[in-house]
Amino acid sequence: MNTESRKKALRHFYSQVVEPLGFKFTPDTDLADFLLEQEVKLEEKHGIPFCPCQPIRRDRTRDMQIVCPCIPFHRKHFDAMQRCWCGLFVHQDIMNPDSLPQLSAKEMGLE
Amino acid sequence: MSDNFVQAIQTADIAPGGMKAVEISGRELVICNYGGSFYAIDRRCGHMNAPLEVGTLDGSILTCAMHCAQFDVTTGEALAGRVPTYLGNETPPPRTEAFLKNVGMLMQHVRTESIGSYTTKIESGWVLVAL
Repeated sequence: MNTESRKKALRHFYSQVVEPLGFKFTPDTDLADFLLEQEVKLEEKHGIPFCPCQPIRRDRTRDMQIVCPCIPFHRKHFDAMQRCWCGLFVHQDIMNPDSLPQLSAKEMGLE
Repeated sequence: MSDNFVQAIQTADIAPGGMKAVEISGRELVICNYGGSFYAIDRRCGHMNAPLEVGTLDGSILTCAMHCAQFDVTTGEALAGRVPTYLGNETPPPRTEAFLKNVGMLMQHVRTESIGSYTTKIESGWVLVAL
């Protein structure tokens, strides 16, 4: 299967989920392209497009919470950061994603 | 009408986002209405031959109802293979487990191939397919 075609398909499905949640794809197109490519590889290996920046723990309940787009499972944390953990999605009003640091929920006082 | 094109179905028979199976000269096809444009692809899934018209069409992406393999209806290109099966946390009975193991061994050799797509055109309210 062609990686570029699969990336396009994932974009199509993801946008339907993230846009109603107030998110969009990061304006950093190189980053989005790179992250989607990693997800295609993870999907080829596991059958599921997991978040490329979070560990797969072989615990189904936890692993299902890192299937991209995982925003609904980490809503409070991601809303506070205005981005998702890996940065593939940012809040719809964000123009400069570099200004958004990646902080754990603990660092943000959410745990 | 060009000699190569044959009538497949009336345009009014498929609403946007819909699909319908047709058989023309012994060949099984699915005609898809994607945003008002009509596309013709092979009816059989490139994974395990399930009939694709019972799947779902989202944009130009058709998802097979059997194992969720996906195809682009505009090109017939395979976009994804089957999704993995989740059997729950409990270990199945030994005979079932052995059966599933054997099926799994066979299934790991099953690839998802792209399917055929055909040129279409509209004429007098009919979808014509080039075969």
